Amino acid sequence: MEKNVSAAAYVPVESDFRLKNNADEIALDTNFASQGFWKDVLIRYFRKTSAVIGLVLIILISIMAVVGPGMNSYTYSGQELGQKNFAPRVPGLEKLGIFDGDESMSTTTGTKTVNYYKEKELNDVYYWFGSDNFGRDIWTRTWSGARVSLIIAVAAAFIDMLIGMSYGLISGYFGGKTDMIMQRSLEVANGIPRLVVVTLLLLVLQPGMLTIIVALMLTEWIGMSRIARAQMLRLKEQEFVLASRTLGAGSFFIIFKEILPNIIGPIITQVMFSIPTAIFTEAFLSFVGLGIPVPQCSLGSLISEGFNSFTTHPYQIIPPIVVMALLMLSFNLVADGLREALDPKMKEM
Amino acid sequence: MRKYTVKRILTSVFTLLVILLVLFILMQLMPGSPFNDEKLNDSQREVLYAKYGLDQPVVVQFFRYVGNMLRGDLGVSYKISRNTPISQLIQTRLPISLFIGGFAVTIGAVLGLILGLIAALKHDTIWDSLATIISVIGVSVPSYVFALALSYTLGFRLQWFPMLYNVQKAMGSSVLPSISLSMFTMASIARFTRTEMLEVLNSDYMLLAESKGVSGPALIFRHALRNALIPIITVLAPLVVDLMTGSLVVEKIFAIPGVGSLLVNAIQSNDYNVVISLSFIYSALYIIIMLVVDILYGVIDPRIRLAKKGE
Amino acid sequence: MKKAVAALLTVSALAVGVVGLSAAAEASDLNIMLETPVESLDPQIATDGTSFEVIADFTDGLMQMDADGKAVEALAESYEVSEDGCTYTFHLRDASWSNGDPVTANDFVFAWQRAVDPDVASEYSYMLSDIGQVVNAAEIIAGEKDKSELGVTAIDDKTLEVKLNVPVSYFLSLMYFPTFYPVNQAFFESVGDTFGTSPETTLSNGAFIMDTYEPAATAFHLTKNDSYWDAARVQLAGLNYQVIQDSQQALMSYQSGALDMTLVNGEQVDQVKEDPEFQTIGAGYLWYVSPNMDGVPELANLNIRLAMTNAINRVSITEDVLKDGSIPTYTAVPLQFAAGPDGSDFSGDQSLYLDVCADDAAKAAEYWAAGLEELGISELSLDMVVDADDAPQKVAQVLKEQWETTLPGLTVNLVIEPKKQRVEDMQNGDFQLGLTRWGPDYADPMTYLGMWITGNNNNYGLWSNEEFDAIIDECTTGDLCTDAEGRWARLYDAQKIVMDEAVIYPLYTQANAEMMSSAVTGVEFHPVALNRVYKNAAKAE
Repeated sequence: MEKNVSAAAYVPVESDFRLKNNADEIALDTNFASQGFWKDVLIRYFRKTSAVIGLVLIILISIMAVVGPGMNSYTYSGQELGQKNFAPRVPGLEKLGIFDGDESMSTTTGTKTVNYYKEKELNDVYYWFGSDNFGRDIWTRTWSGARVSLIIAVAAAFIDMLIGMSYGLISGYFGGKTDMIMQRSLEVANGIPRLVVVTLLLLVLQPGMLTIIVALMLTEWIGMSRIARAQMLRLKEQEFVLASRTLGAGSFFIIFKEILPNIIGPIITQVMFSIPTAIFTEAFLSFVGLGIPVPQCSLGSLISEGFNSFTTHPYQIIPPIVVMALLMLSFNLVADGLREALDPKMKEM
Repeated sequence: MRKYTVKRILTSVFTLLVILLVLFILMQLMPGSPFNDEKLNDSQREVLYAKYGLDQPVVVQFFRYVGNMLRGDLGVSYKISRNTPISQLIQTRLPISLFIGGFAVTIGAVLGLILGLIAALKHDTIWDSLATIISVIGVSVPSYVFALALSYTLGFRLQWFPMLYNVQKAMGSSVLPSISLSMFTMASIARFTRTEMLEVLNSDYMLLAESKGVSGPALIFRHALRNALIPIITVLAPLVVDLMTGSLVVEKIFAIPGVGSLLVNAIQSNDYNVVISLSFIYSALYIIIMLVVDILYGVIDPRIRLAKKGE
Repeated sequence: MKKAVAALLTVSALAVGVVGLSAAAEASDLNIMLETPVESLDPQIATDGTSFEVIADFTDGLMQMDADGKAVEALAESYEVSEDGCTYTFHLRDASWSNGDPVTANDFVFAWQRAVDPDVASEYSYMLSDIGQVVNAAEIIAGEKDKSELGVTAIDDKTLEVKLNVPVSYFLSLMYFPTFYPVNQAFFESVGDTFGTSPETTLSNGAFIMDTYEPAATAFHLTKNDSYWDAARVQLAGLNYQVIQDSQQALMSYQSGALDMTLVNGEQVDQVKEDPEFQTIGAGYLWYVSPNMDGVPELANLNIRLAMTNAINRVSITEDVLKDGSIPTYTAVPLQFAAGPDGSDFSGDQSLYLDVCADDAAKAAEYWAAGLEELGISELSLDMVVDADDAPQKVAQVLKEQWETTLPGLTVNLVIEPKKQRVEDMQNGDFQLGLTRWGPDYADPMTYLGMWITGNNNNYGLWSNEEFDAIIDECTTGDLCTDAEGRWARLYDAQKIVMDEAVIYPLYTQANAEMMSSAVTGVEFHPVALNRVYKNAAKAE
């Protein structure tokens, strides 16, 4: 920089200025109408086919989770022991030779085809997805399971995000002693195997949906905080942070207003990942007998129930697995779409 | 850097002690006792508690345990293999879990990186969607279902690999469990690699590198991948510990004599010493790996190295 | 050089052992599937069925079980019982341990003293005290007397004398229970704390010798013991055990020929029920629901209890849900484990109490209406604690459904807990209904009926009935101990009280569905003590 201008420079006074009054002269650029940030995001989002497909799938599955269980006369817990392990049969389709209640079972004495509907002469009984080993309708159970899983996963993922993100950002931003202490506490929390913590928690609290959400929350926020911290370490020395700080912004303003919007991509990806993780942890808990209490069900508990009949009646595990896979796929597609829509740089690619 | 490393190691030791104490307190909260609950009367239970010092206050038990541990004595099992020293119980099992876990992490990380790179470099093409779908299937199918499906097809029907773990054919019989375990790692790594690579490929310094004439593999591996690796390592590190300490579900299905199934049995049967020892090993592994990751950060990312020097 | 290499190979082959399925392709090894690993090979420490089975593979006691479960001589060549029934004298045969030492009466004295020694803290010490009634056992366990005062003495190397407090009609049948098996003192002291943790630290006097083992192993192997006193009878070359916790993997292994015997679960029965190799084997366990009569006023009402027990459709539970051959049970003592003086099954006749306990929805509804009226309520909500295991959860879901459909106004909430938590809750009286099971410790109805006396640990419902207590007293320590027929008849009287009062709602006697290769013969199955015995087994090529 050059030397300062001499101290005796002229100081302008108000009378030196006047309004130009040129409102009519300002040309409005109609080609590039000014757009709000979020409108922009939406437009970019809907331009991407896969993202739209994902969103549609999530909406469809959510709708089914609400109305699906009511679409036939069965309830999720109603047992009909005389009609257990019936293969899927759908009116209409049965005439085409698929979904007609036939099941080929591989036994130790050879493969045989059975049709329990015909054997028991139940001509007007239909289980669209088949029935389980209590004679409960798998269609109804799959959709009520999807409902439970969605609630658990979304709630857990959202709470994880709030806790993990704040923790990671704060820890990464302040660094030094704060970071040291926060990271060591996190190590203690994470250093204890989840199974030990979760089992104890479920023993102390009454088993149920809320307990499972708390259990998932307690163990899953750590991954999120790691991502947030790593991102923070990457960004905090950058110019725009420095600029903001120079302008007198407070630490929390910088963390949540300046840096957070810049790392929303990885955070959203991580949230979308914590949804399947939450569903899995729930499935794992079901597997060790600590999941949602019977006769209620979740996708996870349906999968572990179906698992026991995997080699005998494989059709029982297929609906929950397919719904779960679709759900995961769509969350991923939506995450991708959102991330690219939120980050304008990306659209240039 | 050296001062920082020493400080980190010291705090890690302290962290481990805190974890041990927390574990002791957690054990007190467990309902039931390690001994046959149904058939014992109160006086018998008293005799058993007295024999193993479980009637002492937690603090006494804790210090006694730490003292014994420093002498290399991890105590004995109360239930799973009654009166067997834990060290004997673990010494053959830990290597098996470490081997299978390591195998799984390697498969998962390599495949994940490849998938992620393909997806990022061929962004918005059919390859990208394909990579996404493969990695989504990896996270959508629980490892136990995947394990059983593999066992049924590759083990039972095709007979390519043994269905059950066999100490004598450790390599061959580790294949199916390792593949089933690696799916989750693969999927996570693929997703993160894709996200990070896309971000890095878009950055100014890549443009600079490109304009300076760097191209092809050098551009991708020397410049892009290196920067994308930091968050990837953050994700990979905890996964490594989870896998190395064994997956109970996969161990159960393939009848693997590892530590994962041991931990579950121990929790279910209140075998306190086994739970504490295994949890402690898990914690130690975890903290060591975190330490290594922290130090690795510096190697990979010069900015962080500089920041640490400044401390 | 070549020789050295060959020797090295042999040594390493030996060191590795013959564990593993494929390595055990040798024709006459029997390949056996286990559900759980062995907990202990120390006969005085072991408490679970798997450990007992394996210990009995390589250790003999004074008596052994014959194919029908009756006690016959093993290491005892003969025995005498004194007239008052309180002194047993066993004469040992010439048998030896696998290190060459002879089996002596001292080995038994040493082992039995360990069983009651508070320093050893055996969980099954009550087999000597409460059940076996060995003189001074109870006092030694309580720390009041020294273990040397236990009522068992070695008169000489080959003669063992046991003194009992009162005559115990089933005492001989306790002698095949592993807690009473001998331990070689010199060997035990030489290996110290490592006893029973490896092939080197176990000693055999039985049909097989352990040759590959480590604590909680998932695979281990035993070889035939050529110096066994009855070696001529043993036809198998060895036993090859494989622990498989997943039943589908187990069945696939069986189908691929790697296993000769495996358990199958209820889901798989559809796949195997037409197979001639499929069989169901009684396991002795009684599953029942215990109502808390002390803590829940509504359950103190007899009509409510009778309504609940009659509302259960046991046939549907065993045939539609479990499908593993479990038998619906309408008595307080399960089927097929206790044979009377005339050799008949104590609970063989299931129609004895059908007037108070049956699958009868109509009668249940009547009892229910009467009960509600007496209580002056129209609705009742009960919690039932259930183990977080597969079978109990299934049964509980069906029970809930059956109760709620048959008994209007009843709501049953299932509280699913890990087993130890469930047991603790029940022991503390912190439950309303509990789904639980009990396995017999010895082949006598008393192992069940003894639970319902006032103040017993396992009388979770805190039921108390003076007449019942008096009968049990009479049969254990009173006049009837030496009168087998009279005692047997009185036990039915006791059972009738339990059933009339609906102290428990019996459900079924558990059975195991099993596949066993048609090449295998002579495996003996028992519901008590030793579930499977392989001494007489053979496997065709």
